[in-house]
Amino acid sequence: MAGGGGQLKVERQKRGKASKRKKLKRVGFHLDMTPLVDITFLLLTFFMFTTTMATPQVMEMSVPPEKTEIEVGESMLLTIFVRNDNKVFYAHGQEDPTEISLKEIKGLAERENLRPEVVNKLITALKPSEDASYGTIVNILDELNLAEIAISAEVTKKLDAEGNPMERERRFTIAPLNEDEAAKIAEL
Amino acid sequence: MPKIKAKRTGFVIDMTPLVDITFLLLTFFMFTAKFKSQAESEQKFVIERPQVTADTSKVPDRDVAIIKIAVDSVTFDTTYYYEVANETDREQIWVRTDAVPAELKDKAQLQVSVEVLDELVRNTRLVRPETQFAIDADKKLRFKWISDAMDVLRMNRATTFNYVTEKKQ
Repeated sequence: MAGGGGQLKVERQKRGKASKRKKLKRVGFHLDMTPLVDITFLLLTFFMFTTTMATPQVMEMSVPPEKTEIEVGESMLLTIFVRNDNKVFYAHGQEDPTEISLKEIKGLAERENLRPEVVNKLITALKPSEDASYGTIVNILDELNLAEIAISAEVTKKLDAEGNPMERERRFTIAPLNEDEAAKIAEL
Repeated sequence: MPKIKAKRTGFVIDMTPLVDITFLLLTFFMFTAKFKSQAESEQKFVIERPQVTADTSKVPDRDVAIIKIAVDSVTFDTTYYYEVANETDREQIWVRTDAVPAELKDKAQLQVSVEVLDELVRNTRLVRPETQFAIDADKKLRFKWISDAMDVLRMNRATTFNYVTEKKQ
Protein backbone atom coordinates (compact mmCIF):
# COMPACT_ATOMS: atom_id res chain seq x y z
CA MET A 1 0.00 0.00 0.00
CA ALA A 2 1.29 3.40 -0.87
CA GLY A 3 1.90 6.27 1.45
CA GLY A 4 4.09 4.35 3.86
CA GLY A 5 1.14 3.32 5.96
CA GLY A 6 1.41 2.14 9.46
CA GLN A 7 2.20 5.27 11.36
CA LEU A 8 -0.25 7.80 12.57
CA LYS A 9 0.03 11.03 10.68
CA VAL A 10 -1.06 13.08 13.64
CA GLU A 11 1.36 14.74 15.87
CA ARG A 12 0.44 14.46 19.45
CA GLN A 13 0.09 17.65 21.35
CA LYS A 14 0.20 18.39 24.98
CA ARG A 15 -3.16 19.40 26.19
CA GLY A 16 -3.73 22.45 28.28
CA LYS A 17 -2.43 25.97 28.32
CA ALA A 18 1.27 25.11 28.24
CA SER A 19 1.26 24.90 24.44
CA LYS A 20 0.91 28.09 22.62
CA ARG A 21 1.44 26.52 19.24
CA LYS A 22 -1.45 26.24 16.83
CA LYS A 23 -3.20 22.90 17.22
CA LEU A 24 -2.74 20.64 14.19
CA LYS A 25 -5.90 19.39 12.66
CA ARG A 26 -6.29 15.57 12.66
CA VAL A 27 -6.20 14.47 9.05
CA GLY A 28 -7.18 10.82 9.48
CA PHE A 29 -4.82 7.89 9.35
CA HIS A 30 -3.91 5.00 7.11
CA LEU A 31 -4.00 1.47 8.34
CA ASP A 32 -1.97 -0.99 6.34
CA MET A 33 -4.44 -3.68 5.39
CA THR A 34 -2.04 -5.83 3.37
CA PRO A 35 -1.34 -8.57 5.99
CA LEU A 36 -5.03 -8.78 6.80
CA VAL A 37 -5.93 -9.22 3.15
CA ASP A 38 -3.14 -11.78 2.73
CA ILE A 39 -4.39 -13.99 5.52
CA THR A 40 -8.01 -13.58 4.54
CA PHE A 41 -7.30 -14.61 0.96
CA LEU A 42 -5.27 -17.57 2.15
CA LEU A 43 -8.12 -18.82 4.33
CA LEU A 44 -10.65 -18.09 1.62
CA THR A 45 -8.81 -20.18 -0.96
CA PHE A 46 -8.34 -22.96 1.60
CA PHE A 47 -12.02 -23.15 2.43
CA MET A 48 -13.02 -22.82 -1.21
CA PHE A 49 -10.90 -25.79 -2.21
CA THR A 50 -11.88 -28.01 0.71
CA THR A 51 -15.65 -27.48 0.47
CA THR A 52 -17.76 -29.91 -1.44
CA MET A 53 -21.00 -28.38 -2.55
CA ALA A 54 -22.88 -31.50 -3.63
CA THR A 55 -23.60 -33.16 -0.31
CA PRO A 56 -25.25 -36.56 -0.62
CA GLN A 57 -28.97 -36.76 -0.07
CA VAL A 58 -31.11 -39.70 0.94
CA MET A 59 -34.12 -41.59 -0.34
CA GLU A 60 -36.25 -43.19 2.33
CA MET A 61 -37.25 -46.79 1.97
CA SER A 62 -39.50 -48.98 4.07
CA VAL A 63 -39.74 -52.74 3.96
CA PRO A 64 -42.26 -55.01 5.69
CA PRO A 65 -40.77 -56.58 8.85
CA GLU A 66 -41.23 -60.11 7.60
CA LYS A 67 -41.66 -61.73 4.26
CA THR A 68 -45.36 -62.43 4.51
CA GLU A 69 -47.75 -63.42 1.78
CA ILE A 70 -50.71 -61.12 1.46
CA GLU A 71 -53.71 -61.95 -0.68
CA VAL A 72 -54.62 -59.12 -3.00
CA GLY A 73 -57.08 -58.74 -5.81
CA GLU A 74 -55.54 -58.88 -9.25
CA SER A 75 -56.86 -55.49 -10.21
CA MET A 76 -55.20 -54.01 -7.14
CA LEU A 77 -51.71 -54.99 -8.13
CA LEU A 78 -49.27 -53.29 -10.44
CA THR A 79 -45.96 -55.08 -10.75
CA ILE A 80 -42.80 -53.58 -12.16
CA PHE A 81 -40.15 -56.10 -13.15
CA VAL A 82 -36.50 -55.39 -13.80
CA ARG A 83 -34.65 -57.89 -15.95
CA ASN A 84 -30.95 -58.84 -15.75
CA ASP A 85 -30.11 -56.40 -18.54
CA ASN A 86 -31.87 -53.55 -16.70
CA LYS A 87 -34.88 -53.56 -19.04
CA VAL A 88 -38.11 -52.68 -17.24
CA PHE A 89 -41.47 -54.41 -17.64
CA TYR A 90 -44.85 -53.86 -16.02
CA ALA A 91 -47.93 -56.01 -15.55
CA HIS A 92 -51.38 -55.76 -13.98
CA GLY A 93 -52.09 -58.69 -11.70
CA GLN A 94 -51.19 -61.90 -13.48
CA GLU A 95 -51.19 -60.46 -16.99
CA ASP A 96 -48.24 -60.85 -19.31
CA PRO A 97 -45.58 -58.20 -18.74
CA THR A 98 -45.07 -55.38 -21.24
CA GLU A 99 -41.83 -53.54 -21.74
CA ILE A 100 -41.66 -49.93 -20.60
CA SER A 101 -38.94 -47.32 -20.66
CA LEU A 102 -37.69 -45.58 -17.52
CA LYS A 103 -39.21 -42.26 -18.62
CA GLU A 104 -42.69 -43.77 -19.01
CA ILE A 105 -42.87 -45.16 -15.47
CA LYS A 106 -43.95 -41.86 -13.98
CA GLY A 107 -46.89 -41.56 -16.39
CA LEU A 108 -47.84 -45.19 -15.84
CA ALA A 109 -47.83 -44.84 -12.04
CA GLU A 110 -49.94 -41.68 -12.22
CA ARG A 111 -52.45 -43.21 -14.62
CA GLU A 112 -52.80 -46.45 -12.68
CA ASN A 113 -53.00 -44.93 -9.22
CA LEU A 114 -55.67 -42.44 -10.26
CA ARG A 115 -58.07 -44.98 -11.69
CA PRO A 116 -61.19 -44.21 -9.59
CA GLU A 117 -61.83 -47.83 -8.55
CA VAL A 118 -58.34 -48.38 -7.13
CA VAL A 119 -57.39 -45.00 -5.65
CA ASN A 120 -55.40 -45.59 -2.45
CA LYS A 121 -55.81 -49.33 -2.89
CA LEU A 122 -53.40 -50.10 -5.70
CA ILE A 123 -50.25 -51.85 -4.57
CA THR A 124 -47.14 -51.17 -6.56
CA ALA A 125 -44.67 -54.02 -6.33
CA LEU A 126 -41.14 -53.67 -7.58
CA LYS A 127 -39.51 -56.97 -8.45
CA PRO A 128 -35.93 -56.56 -9.51
CA SER A 129 -33.73 -59.36 -10.71
CA GLU A 130 -30.68 -59.97 -8.55
CA ASP A 131 -28.47 -59.11 -11.50
CA ALA A 132 -30.10 -55.78 -12.27
CA SER A 133 -27.98 -52.79 -11.33
CA TYR A 134 -28.68 -50.87 -8.17
CA GLY A 135 -28.64 -47.61 -10.15
CA THR A 136 -31.63 -48.73 -12.25
CA ILE A 137 -33.63 -49.67 -9.16
CA VAL A 138 -33.00 -46.29 -7.58
CA ASN A 139 -33.97 -44.55 -10.83
CA ILE A 140 -37.29 -46.45 -10.86
CA LEU A 141 -37.91 -45.55 -7.22
CA ASP A 142 -37.15 -41.95 -8.12
CA GLU A 143 -39.71 -41.99 -10.97
CA LEU A 144 -42.31 -43.51 -8.63
CA ASN A 145 -41.57 -40.83 -6.04
CA LEU A 146 -42.03 -38.15 -8.69
CA ALA A 147 -45.36 -39.65 -9.73
CA GLU A 148 -46.44 -39.51 -6.08
CA ILE A 149 -46.52 -35.68 -6.21
CA ALA A 150 -49.21 -35.62 -8.89
CA ILE A 151 -51.07 -38.56 -7.35
CA SER A 152 -51.34 -37.07 -3.87
CA ALA A 153 -52.34 -33.70 -5.36
CA GLU A 154 -55.23 -35.38 -7.21
CA VAL A 155 -56.25 -37.61 -4.32
CA THR A 156 -56.37 -34.81 -1.75
CA LYS A 157 -58.74 -32.87 -4.04
CA LYS A 158 -61.37 -35.57 -3.60
CA LEU A 159 -63.66 -35.78 -0.59
CA ASP A 160 -64.34 -38.90 1.43
CA ALA A 161 -67.77 -40.08 2.68
CA GLU A 162 -67.72 -37.57 5.55
CA GLY A 163 -66.79 -34.65 3.34
CA ASN A 164 -63.20 -34.38 4.50
CA PRO A 165 -60.40 -34.29 1.97
CA MET A 166 -58.99 -37.74 1.30
CA GLU A 167 -55.48 -38.63 2.32
CA ARG A 168 -53.04 -40.37 0.07
CA GLU A 169 -52.01 -43.80 1.32
CA ARG A 170 -49.11 -45.14 -0.59
CA ARG A 171 -48.81 -48.87 -0.98
CA PHE A 172 -45.50 -50.02 -2.22
CA THR A 173 -43.42 -53.09 -1.77
CA ILE A 174 -40.14 -54.42 -3.00
CA ALA A 175 -39.72 -58.16 -3.44
CA PRO A 176 -37.33 -60.51 -5.18
CA LEU A 177 -38.19 -61.81 -8.60
CA ASN A 178 -39.35 -65.43 -8.48
CA GLU A 179 -38.39 -68.05 -11.07
CA ASP A 180 -41.69 -68.09 -12.97
CA GLU A 181 -41.64 -64.34 -13.37
CA ALA A 182 -37.99 -64.39 -14.37
CA ALA A 183 -38.75 -66.98 -17.04
CA LYS A 184 -41.70 -64.95 -18.27
CA ILE A 185 -39.75 -61.77 -18.83
CA ALA A 186 -36.65 -63.53 -20.11
CA GLU A 187 -38.39 -64.30 -23.41
CA LEU A 188 -39.58 -60.77 -24.09
CA MET B 1 0.12 29.92 -18.83
CA PRO B 2 1.41 26.40 -18.72
CA LYS B 3 0.26 24.36 -15.81
CA ILE B 4 2.88 23.14 -13.48
CA LYS B 5 2.80 19.38 -13.53
CA ALA B 6 2.42 18.05 -10.04
CA LYS B 7 4.92 15.37 -9.17
CA ARG B 8 3.31 11.98 -8.77
CA THR B 9 4.00 10.79 -5.28
CA GLY B 10 2.46 7.29 -5.31
CA PHE B 11 -1.18 6.45 -4.95
CA VAL B 12 -3.59 4.87 -2.53
CA ILE B 13 -6.10 2.18 -3.42
CA ASP B 14 -9.04 1.84 -1.11
CA MET B 15 -9.03 -1.80 -0.16
CA THR B 16 -12.11 -1.67 2.05
CA PRO B 17 -14.63 -3.10 -0.50
CA LEU B 18 -12.19 -5.87 -1.41
CA VAL B 19 -11.76 -6.83 2.22
CA ASP B 20 -15.52 -6.68 2.75
CA ILE B 21 -16.23 -9.12 -0.04
CA THR B 22 -13.36 -11.37 0.92
CA PHE B 23 -14.56 -11.61 4.50
CA LEU B 24 -18.07 -12.31 3.33
CA LEU B 25 -16.91 -15.18 1.13
CA LEU B 26 -14.59 -16.43 3.85
CA THR B 27 -17.36 -16.63 6.42
CA PHE B 28 -19.65 -18.30 3.88
CA PHE B 29 -17.14 -21.00 3.03
CA MET B 30 -16.19 -21.46 6.67
CA PHE B 31 -19.77 -22.14 7.65
CA THR B 32 -20.56 -24.40 4.74
CA ALA B 33 -17.34 -26.42 4.95
CA LYS B 34 -17.81 -29.95 6.13
CA PHE B 35 -14.75 -31.99 6.77
CA LYS B 36 -14.19 -35.62 6.01
CA SER B 37 -14.95 -37.97 8.84
CA GLN B 38 -12.35 -40.41 10.11
CA ALA B 39 -14.16 -43.24 8.35
CA GLU B 40 -14.08 -41.43 5.02
CA SER B 41 -10.36 -40.76 5.24
CA GLU B 42 -9.72 -44.44 5.97
CA GLN B 43 -11.61 -45.83 3.01
CA LYS B 44 -9.90 -47.09 -0.12
CA PHE B 45 -12.79 -46.91 -2.54
CA VAL B 46 -14.93 -44.41 -4.33
CA ILE B 47 -18.69 -44.76 -4.41
CA GLU B 48 -20.47 -43.58 -7.52
CA ARG B 49 -23.89 -42.92 -6.07
CA PRO B 50 -27.05 -43.21 -8.13
CA GLN B 51 -28.36 -39.86 -9.26
CA VAL B 52 -31.91 -38.84 -8.51
CA THR B 53 -33.99 -35.68 -8.68
CA ALA B 54 -33.13 -33.04 -6.12
CA ASP B 55 -34.53 -33.58 -2.68
CA THR B 56 -34.06 -31.72 0.56
CA SER B 57 -33.51 -34.73 2.79
CA LYS B 58 -29.90 -35.10 3.83
CA VAL B 59 -27.99 -37.89 5.49
CA PRO B 60 -28.50 -37.47 9.24
CA ASP B 61 -25.36 -36.25 11.06
CA ARG B 62 -25.92 -37.99 14.35
CA ASP B 63 -26.86 -41.53 15.32
CA VAL B 64 -26.55 -42.88 11.83
CA ALA B 65 -25.05 -46.19 10.80
CA ILE B 66 -24.00 -46.51 7.19
CA ILE B 67 -23.64 -49.74 5.29
CA LYS B 68 -21.36 -49.03 2.38
CA ILE B 69 -21.16 -51.43 -0.52
CA ALA B 70 -18.30 -50.74 -2.86
CA VAL B 71 -15.58 -52.19 -4.97
CA ASP B 72 -12.13 -52.02 -3.36
CA SER B 73 -9.81 -49.98 -5.56
CA VAL B 74 -6.86 -52.33 -4.91
CA THR B 75 -8.30 -55.85 -4.89
CA PHE B 76 -11.45 -55.17 -6.97
CA ASP B 77 -13.55 -57.19 -4.52
CA THR B 78 -17.05 -56.08 -3.67
CA THR B 79 -17.59 -56.02 0.07
CA TYR B 80 -19.66 -54.46 2.78
CA TYR B 81 -18.25 -51.72 4.95
CA TYR B 82 -19.88 -50.63 8.14
CA GLU B 83 -19.53 -47.35 9.99
CA VAL B 84 -21.29 -45.69 12.90
CA ALA B 85 -21.22 -41.91 13.19
CA ASN B 86 -21.57 -41.70 16.97
CA GLU B 87 -18.11 -42.43 18.40
CA THR B 88 -19.17 -43.63 21.84
CA ASP B 89 -21.75 -45.95 20.32
CA ARG B 90 -19.21 -47.19 17.82
CA GLU B 91 -16.78 -48.18 20.56
CA GLN B 92 -19.47 -50.13 22.39
CA ILE B 93 -20.66 -51.86 19.22
CA TRP B 94 -17.15 -52.85 18.20
CA VAL B 95 -16.45 -54.25 21.67
CA ARG B 96 -19.71 -56.20 21.77
CA THR B 97 -19.10 -57.76 18.38
CA ASP B 98 -16.86 -60.82 18.76
CA ALA B 99 -16.14 -61.03 15.07
CA VAL B 100 -14.22 -57.75 15.15
CA PRO B 101 -10.54 -58.52 15.83
CA ALA B 102 -8.88 -56.57 18.63
CA GLU B 103 -6.49 -54.73 16.31
CA LEU B 104 -9.42 -53.27 14.36
CA LYS B 105 -11.28 -52.00 17.42
CA ASP B 106 -10.07 -48.43 16.91
CA LYS B 107 -11.04 -48.27 13.23
CA ALA B 108 -13.96 -46.05 12.27
CA GLN B 109 -14.91 -48.23 9.31
CA LEU B 110 -14.91 -52.01 9.15
CA GLN B 111 -14.78 -54.24 6.11
CA VAL B 112 -17.22 -57.04 6.87
CA SER B 113 -19.02 -60.07 5.50
CA VAL B 114 -22.82 -60.39 5.54
CA GLU B 115 -22.69 -62.53 8.69
CA VAL B 116 -20.63 -59.99 10.60
CA LEU B 117 -22.79 -57.21 9.20
CA ASP B 118 -25.81 -58.91 10.71
CA GLU B 119 -24.08 -59.10 14.09
CA LEU B 120 -23.03 -55.45 13.88
CA VAL B 121 -26.51 -54.26 12.95
CA ARG B 122 -27.98 -56.28 15.82
CA ASN B 123 -25.51 -54.77 18.29
CA THR B 124 -26.19 -51.29 16.93
CA ARG B 125 -29.88 -51.82 17.56
CA LEU B 126 -29.07 -53.00 21.10
CA VAL B 127 -26.77 -50.10 21.92
CA ARG B 128 -29.03 -47.42 20.48
CA PRO B 129 -32.38 -48.54 19.07
CA GLU B 130 -33.14 -45.19 17.42
CA THR B 131 -30.07 -45.31 15.20
CA GLN B 132 -30.98 -44.70 11.59
CA PHE B 133 -29.56 -46.89 8.89
CA ALA B 134 -28.42 -45.88 5.46
CA ILE B 135 -27.23 -47.92 2.53
CA ASP B 136 -24.57 -46.24 0.46
CA ALA B 137 -23.85 -48.35 -2.59
CA ASP B 138 -22.27 -47.93 -5.98
CA LYS B 139 -24.82 -47.61 -8.79
CA LYS B 140 -23.12 -50.19 -10.98
CA LEU B 141 -23.39 -53.00 -8.43
CA ARG B 142 -25.73 -55.96 -8.80
CA PHE B 143 -28.93 -55.55 -6.82
CA LYS B 144 -28.16 -58.81 -5.00
CA TRP B 145 -25.66 -56.98 -2.78
CA ILE B 146 -28.21 -54.39 -1.80
CA SER B 147 -31.08 -56.81 -1.29
CA ASP B 148 -28.88 -58.93 1.00
CA ALA B 149 -28.08 -55.84 3.06
CA MET B 150 -31.80 -54.99 3.12
CA ASP B 151 -32.54 -58.49 4.39
CA VAL B 152 -30.02 -58.02 7.19
CA LEU B 153 -31.79 -54.81 8.20
CA ARG B 154 -35.19 -56.44 7.88
CA MET B 155 -34.14 -59.37 10.11
CA ASN B 156 -33.01 -56.89 12.74
CA ARG B 157 -36.30 -55.02 12.53
CA ALA B 158 -34.80 -51.90 11.05
CA THR B 159 -37.53 -51.66 8.45
CA THR B 160 -37.11 -48.00 7.57
CA PHE B 161 -33.78 -46.94 6.20
CA ASN B 162 -32.28 -44.67 3.58
CA TYR B 163 -30.52 -45.04 0.29
CA VAL B 164 -27.74 -42.52 -0.06
CA THR B 165 -28.04 -40.78 -3.42
CA GLU B 166 -26.71 -37.79 -5.24
CA LYS B 167 -28.46 -34.89 -6.87
CA LYS B 168 -28.95 -35.23 -10.62
CA GLN B 169 -26.91 -32.60 -12.45
